[in-house]
Amino acid sequence: MPTLSPSVRKSATLIYHFAERESKARYKRSILGWFWSFMNPLTTVIVYSFVFGVVYGAKAPLTSNGNAENFGLYLFTGLVVWSLFTGIVNGSMGWLTSVSDLRKKIYFPTETALLGGAAANAVQTSLEVVVLIAIMLVAANLSWTLIFLPIAVLMALFFALGLGFIAAIYNARYRDIQYLVGILLNVAFFAVPIVYTPTLLDNDDIPDIVRILVEWNPPALFVEIARDATYFLEVPQWNRMLAALAWTVVTFSIGWWYFRDQSMAISEEP
Amino acid sequence: MNTGSIHVRGVSKRFRLERNRPSSLKEALLRTGKKKDVDDFWALRDIDLDIEPGAFFGLIGHNGSGKSTLLRLMANIHAPTTGEIEATGRLSALLELGSGFHPDLTGRENVYLNGAMLGLSRRQMAESMDRIIEFSGIGEFIDEPVKIYSSGMYVRLGFAVAVNVDPEILLVDEVIAVGDEEFQRRCMDHMHQLRDKGTTIVLVSHNAGLMSRLCDRVGWLDHGRLLALGDATEVVDRYLAHVNSAGDNTLTTHD
Ligand SMILES: Nc1ncnc2c1ncn2[C@@H]1O[C@H](COP(=O)(O)OP(=O)(O)OP(=O)(O)O)[C@@H](O)[C@H]1O
Ligand SMILES: [Mg+2]
Repeated sequence: MPTLSPSVRKSATLIYHFAERESKARYKRSILGWFWSFMNPLTTVIVYSFVFGVVYGAKAPLTSNGNAENFGLYLFTGLVVWSLFTGIVNGSMGWLTSVSDLRKKIYFPTETALLGGAAANAVQTSLEVVVLIAIMLVAANLSWTLIFLPIAVLMALFFALGLGFIAAIYNARYRDIQYLVGILLNVAFFAVPIVYTPTLLDNDDIPDIVRILVEWNPPALFVEIARDATYFLEVPQWNRMLAALAWTVVTFSIGWWYFRDQSMAISEEP
Repeated sequence: MNTGSIHVRGVSKRFRLERNRPSSLKEALLRTGKKKDVDDFWALRDIDLDIEPGAFFGLIGHNGSGKSTLLRLMANIHAPTTGEIEATGRLSALLELGSGFHPDLTGRENVYLNGAMLGLSRRQMAESMDRIIEFSGIGEFIDEPVKIYSSGMYVRLGFAVAVNVDPEILLVDEVIAVGDEEFQRRCMDHMHQLRDKGTTIVLVSHNAGLMSRLCDRVGWLDHGRLLALGDATEVVDRYLAHVNSAGDNTLTTHD
């Protein structure tokens, strides 16, 4: 058995390779390349501010200093976390299938393909975060609570990877899993307060169970923590932080274990 | 000095052949609870084998006898069902056509990817790049996607990578036969050089003459069992005698 350090170095090289490939594939044949990474989130903020704020006249929740009441920003903060989450869960299945033929001919740890894909998504997210912080800076809506943003992002990343590991293995056996996951994520989008505020649920017609689901499901927790950090500029509630962390650790561990357990068997499937 | 060794202890390999395997979720769900239609097929049975550092080892046997399967186990592509395999040293394998190449990537990108799989950094690979291109002789095609390569070009690049990454163990399955005369000779020369450097080599070939000429020791596989193991010329001769006397078709089938 190889000693630990060369195998770790090998995995790191592979993760880098797959991350680079994923990033390149995203802006293949484009001249401006990374420029689009900034333009996409920027246009998202502008369009959403216009549609929700001006057209629908939706009222954004108050920010701490009253400077940034803008539905576009409220929404964008949530979207940054949500798109990282879905990007990884959806992507995982494709990242595994794209290397499975290769894995049948040469040994390498396949989890590096998923970790690399996730890293590429994290780079994209960091660019969006830069845009978000820049806007908040202009709006003078920043505080030390910003340190909770990377924590929320990292938890979303590892939680998504945990689900991605499991989805990827199932999808390697039955290709229809990817469609099922796509649909489930579309539904889940509305279980997370991104296009609406949780206060919308303070209504007697809405059963408690729905309220609990919306407030405590893991993506919602990550989104809310990110929002506390950059929008409301509040320290996230400790019980929500704890719940988010527990979801992350448990889901990632199960996914990792399951993937490692099954990936050899997958390579033997005809 | 290189120190690649392989120890195979009591290794058996079972493949599960699932008939009418559900290909979609719907089918799988409809069939839950029902008995799976599986057949066990033992591709390898109770193999014990020690390949010492610097050895040039050969595997012979009829089609379907398990040679490639054994190499895949050594390369950690498959896991043994029972027993264990221990391969110490950097292992580089040339197992089949397009071994370890991603069809959509260019030759050059594939060389980097292969290097990464062997634990070599981009910089280390960049240093060997010229040598690899030179050795493979595929010229400007190095920047074309490998899916447009001819079979010979695949093998040329594969071999060039496999031998130029300074492996401690080199596994070669048959594939050299696809190259042209000139390339085959170059491969043989190179394997000699590697052997002289102390690289441990395992070669699979149906070319009996080549096997007795190149190898020190040869193992003879038959229906997944190791029938004979020993001095190359001796085992190859016994194998040939067996083939000539039997004369029948001994191809294994799954039934
Ligand atoms: N992934 C697999 N699933 C099921 N059966 C397999 C698998 N891989 C190999 N086999 C079976 O195992 C047996 C041994 O195959 P293997 O490729 O090792 O033979 P070989 O000795 O290399 O033959 P050849 O000389 O034709 O290359 C064959 O019957 C083959 O069909
Ligand atoms: Mg074979």
